[in-house]
Amino acid sequence: MDSFFEFFSFSDPNIRYVVIGSLLLTSSSAIVGTFTFLKKKALVGDAVAHAVLPGVCLSFILSGEKSPIILIIGAFLTGWLSLVLIDIITAKSKLKEDTAIGLILSVFFGIGIFMLTIIQKSGNASQTGLDQFLFGKAASLVGFDLIVFAVIAVILIVSVWLFFKELTLLAFDEEFAVTLGLPVRAIELLLTTLTVLAVVVGIQAVGVVLMAAMLITPAAAARFWTHNITTMIWLAAIFGSLSGLAGAYISYIAPSMPTGPWIVVVISTIAFISFFLAPGRGILYRVKTQRRIKKQINDENILKALYHLGEEGKKFYEKRTLQEILSKRKFEPQALKSGLKRLRSDGYLKNENGYWSFTRAGKRKGQRTVKLHRLWELYLTQYLRIAPDHVHDDADTIEHILTPELEARLEKLLNYPKVDPHQSEIPYG
Amino acid sequence: MTNDKTIINQVHHVENPVLEVHDLTVSYDKKPVLWDVDLTLPYGKLIGIVGPNGAGKSTLIKSVMGLTPNSSGYVKLFDQSLREARGKISYVPQRESVDWDFPASVLDVVLMGRYGKLGLFRRPRKADKDIAMDSLRKVGMEAYEKRQISQLSGGQQQRVFLARALAQQADLYFMDEPFAGVDAATEKAIISLLREMSAKGKTVIVVHHDLQSVTQYFDWVILLNMRLVASGPVEKVFTTELLQETYGGKLTLLSDVGDLIRQQQFPNREKTPDSKSG
Repeated sequence: MDSFFEFFSFSDPNIRYVVIGSLLLTSSSAIVGTFTFLKKKALVGDAVAHAVLPGVCLSFILSGEKSPIILIIGAFLTGWLSLVLIDIITAKSKLKEDTAIGLILSVFFGIGIFMLTIIQKSGNASQTGLDQFLFGKAASLVGFDLIVFAVIAVILIVSVWLFFKELTLLAFDEEFAVTLGLPVRAIELLLTTLTVLAVVVGIQAVGVVLMAAMLITPAAAARFWTHNITTMIWLAAIFGSLSGLAGAYISYIAPSMPTGPWIVVVISTIAFISFFLAPGRGILYRVKTQRRIKKQINDENILKALYHLGEEGKKFYEKRTLQEILSKRKFEPQALKSGLKRLRSDGYLKNENGYWSFTRAGKRKGQRTVKLHRLWELYLTQYLRIAPDHVHDDADTIEHILTPELEARLEKLLNYPKVDPHQSEIPYG
Repeated sequence: MTNDKTIINQVHHVENPVLEVHDLTVSYDKKPVLWDVDLTLPYGKLIGIVGPNGAGKSTLIKSVMGLTPNSSGYVKLFDQSLREARGKISYVPQRESVDWDFPASVLDVVLMGRYGKLGLFRRPRKADKDIAMDSLRKVGMEAYEKRQISQLSGGQQQRVFLARALAQQADLYFMDEPFAGVDAATEKAIISLLREMSAKGKTVIVVHHDLQSVTQYFDWVILLNMRLVASGPVEKVFTTELLQETYGGKLTLLSDVGDLIRQQQFPNREKTPDSKSG
């Protein structure tokens, strides 16, 4: 626990640097990744991430040192080369893009691992730490390295801010952007460059293998919470930062631990929580909506049954037993019980000594359901020419869904009919 | 009424055309899908492009807008090159061409119509928002300004695309199937809007596939089936005879030659030293 407070008080300047570094790395790749995500290029991001490894190794072999700028240049070159090759294979051969991505990813990564092994066996003293590129190590970012990567991260964020409008349009409707005369190829090139750079800086934190998660997962998680692209970018940056912070902390308390997997675990947890809990798009919300609808249908069916009972002899406010209600429609005993309870507390029904009767509001609601049912049956027979004995089941569903606006249109269209196809009276008022 | 200059093979040509298509052949994946189209179109008309499925209707307007990579021949708009004329033309793509589950509001999408005029870096200002709102009003969607585009019906999506085009304040509009999959009320609203635009001197070119409404909607019609069958005023060109020629089955020989060109990787035109493309 001590280390927790020590870390999060940020009093140690070293910790401050590491934190700032990981926040910039993770948030900048999350921001650029939002557009990769919206352009549906997630797999391309993964390919670039893996293709960066041979570049890093090659520049180390050629220069013999671990200078960040040289390594970045190498990474950038092979990252770019992989994208160009994917494009060429897709355009010039019969192979589709997914195949091209698969090919390039594995070939580049294979070569990278091959080179890495040679370097590690070479006994070059300065090679220690090169394998951090595989799984990342946020805490190793200090001094000049930190400055270089922080500068790139800032460049990424500023570029997205500057070209926000163009990048958004390109992600939504590229053809339209062409017809506007925008320099679409240049913007495309920009996004590719930004993606490669985001990968180059992001691998410092999470490593080559898990980089795709850093690029795509924050955006995917953010998408669940908002329909606004600006909010989405902010959220992605925040989610990315949270995981980056977690990664920095882990690499502080357990220096031998690679940070990448931890960052990915945190960001994936955020994504899963979003997947379940987000309003509107989350699973939980949908399940709840479906439950609510099920209850609404059940309750309206009870009111309808009571209304049908009342129609016999026009005794709408008569007290009814459960058996009477069940004689009009079969209900699950439990659903009937909880439905009646809900209807009473909502003020639609009264209960005296086990007998159930309508309140005014209850009768009105039951009557409306019956009316909609019969109107819909009539609509189906008149406008869709469906046989009267085939319309009941459809109407049983539609009666619960029609809005007052559609109700009014239906009444007008059918000219306020008196009876349905089965000669039952359609109740108004 | 029209200032016809000449009529060649049922193609009515006009002087000082808003659009001139010269000997245009368009290929997809090396296979020519539209052969040697030559036409000129008059200013200020509502123009329909009609033909069976796979006739190359969308291909024609996409090619004019510079959206198909492989074409030969040339196109002039307002007697200018496409590059020079960009600011004066507007394109309404098919509704299905984009993913409507994109995080944007109706107003966001309509504002995209202003991006060409804004240039790089600049964000839309109040004046642009006013224009966008005005465009939304014209298509009857002003109440939906803040609505997420994923929640729109097909007809509403189409209106949003139209509003985006209106926000461009162009003089020449190309619309790819604006009536596809929209309800009758939307179709009526759209056509009266197009009439209004053409009354103000705008030229509107519409890919259309409902023959029933052609005479009622358009002043000028282009009949297409892998090649240009006819182009001219509706009353002169929209005849049973020419429609039969347009819809009377595919030209299988033409299609087979196209396939051969693709299989053998032939160029569809030989390159001569002075040949120009685009």
